[in-house]
Amino acid sequence: MIVEMKTLFVAFFFILSGVVNAATGEYPLADVDIGQDEESLKRGAMIYYNLCRMCHNMKYIRYQHLAEIGFDEKEINDLRGDKLASTKFMSTASDENITELYGMVPPDLSVMAKARKKGPQYIYTLLTSYYEKSENIYDNRFFPNIKMPDIFGYSVTMNDAEKLAIENQAKDVTAYLLWASDPRAQERKTLGVYVIGYLFVLSLMFYFVMKRVWSRLDTH
Amino acid sequence: MKKMIGWIDRRFPLTSFVKHELTEYPTPRNLSYWWNFGSLAGVVLVIQIITGIFLAMHYKADAAMAFDSVEHIMRDVNYGWLIRYMHSTGATAFFAVIFIHMARTLYYGSYRAPRELMWWTGQVLLLLLMATAFMGYLLPWGQMSYWGAQVITNLFGTVPFLGDELVVWLRGDFVVGDATLTRFFALHYLVPFIIVGAVLVHLVALHSVKSSNPSGINLADKDNIPFHPYFTVKDLFGLCVFLAIYSYFVFYNPNLFIEADNYIPADPMKTPLHIVPEWYFLPFYAILRAVPDLLGGVIAMGISVMIFAAMPYLDRSKIPGGARYRPFYRVMFYVFVIDIIILGYVGAKPPEGALVPLGQVATLLYFGLFALLPFGSKLEEKWLRKRGLPEEVEAMIQSEEKQKEDRRQRKADRRNARR
Repeated sequence: MIVEMKTLFVAFFFILSGVVNAATGEYPLADVDIGQDEESLKRGAMIYYNLCRMCHNMKYIRYQHLAEIGFDEKEINDLRGDKLASTKFMSTASDENITELYGMVPPDLSVMAKARKKGPQYIYTLLTSYYEKSENIYDNRFFPNIKMPDIFGYSVTMNDAEKLAIENQAKDVTAYLLWASDPRAQERKTLGVYVIGYLFVLSLMFYFVMKRVWSRLDTH
Repeated sequence: MKKMIGWIDRRFPLTSFVKHELTEYPTPRNLSYWWNFGSLAGVVLVIQIITGIFLAMHYKADAAMAFDSVEHIMRDVNYGWLIRYMHSTGATAFFAVIFIHMARTLYYGSYRAPRELMWWTGQVLLLLLMATAFMGYLLPWGQMSYWGAQVITNLFGTVPFLGDELVVWLRGDFVVGDATLTRFFALHYLVPFIIVGAVLVHLVALHSVKSSNPSGINLADKDNIPFHPYFTVKDLFGLCVFLAIYSYFVFYNPNLFIEADNYIPADPMKTPLHIVPEWYFLPFYAILRAVPDLLGGVIAMGISVMIFAAMPYLDRSKIPGGARYRPFYRVMFYVFVIDIIILGYVGAKPPEGALVPLGQVATLLYFGLFALLPFGSKLEEKWLRKRGLPEEVEAMIQSEEKQKEDRRQRKADRRNARR
């Protein structure tokens, strides 16, 4: 019976994880792995800084945080100019101007990578789904009628080499957004190894102590 | 040291208390690992209270600041991410442990005499836990927090006559807003300490009736062993295994149980496409939606949670050991577990297509099983006794019947004597 109960329990959590991981929309998400290597993060940060920041805030990220993804002091100082290192990444456009253009304030990107199901794949797919619907009319297959313009020019690429270059840029900026959504992820994963390792050893030790203590019962 | 303990013992029953409740507390030696989950629930409660207190030191219960303060905790506070993820994963762990604890009680029939009060204090604890979890879920002030609270508080509007006033009274406003957030925070901080008190009552009851055991038969003295060291070490072993699994989620999958939508700040003007409660409420949510009438749904949901309290009366079988000696009850138990999983699945999905009738059938089955139990358990008892039970089980039932008969006889005698 106990075996059966265990199987059920495992099955329960299996089904549960399936429910939690249920896929997002109808348009399939691109199956990409978004890494966290430093060069990619730095390139992604610069793409955000030069392109995305025209419209999107990242209010939880400040200049000083760039040090965490490999920018050295000089690079940060060059970027921030006379602004404080603790200045937040805020859009270069004013809320009024941008609302006039798009009818809304574009969402803050600080936590975007965790605010959508399969966030990194979502962002990458969105950036690489622009196409030319009819002459000079552009749309997005993943997010029809999106207000955001095709900032990388993916819909007007002439050849595969250009496409690939843009796909790599999309990967870089996604990597950066993934980092920004949870800057402590690396620290978390590193610490996790020690914690779980420690608990594993401690479990083993308690197991043997338990066996030893309980063996006293059999001798009586 | 000895002198000091002596000094205390003359003023406070320290040594006798430790002896009675720990070093000599008799515990059945045949308890399986399913009996670990009670103490695990206690540990999770402590984890939640401690991490919660540290979170409260940095959290801002203000509609304009709540979302930012949670991100602040996870980014800027030293090990804030750890405390926050321990707390959010801890909620899931708490319900997982409690559900298993309840399933064990149901499977082995531990709710039956003389442990009804344990079961009912447990039922109160479950309600307090659900209330605490629900209020805590509002605090991150994400879209799911906000709209979940909006939907659930709306349910109180179905109360006849008072409904609308009741909803406003609960929220402190016409919609979920700042007033709701601050009161939920205050209560989310308070109720766990009430839970601690209720846990103490639960434990006092336990130490009076003692643990049940897989055989369902009260064991002879020689089969009871002192709690310490046998079960302290067994509980510690179980705790470490539990913590290792819990840590996997905290460190490697902390957002598995957090809806992505809840990282979008609450927006009263924008309803999410699909509002889902936390996984531990899904079966009850499915029951709510299965009934076409809203008031009926609310009543069905309320009963679906409270009906467990009736178990000692619904189960009329005298055969001890829960599902162990009872094939029919065992089947019912497994059907019930599968039914709850189906309800959970239905609750997680939008109510469309075949899921609607599936949810309704599963709801009928849920209540049907409880309705069937009084008759089923009696029939099963008769059938099993006709077929012949193990000797000690039959002896136990007969002695119980005799005791009951004696009591009735004495009562009748007394009545006659008074005449």
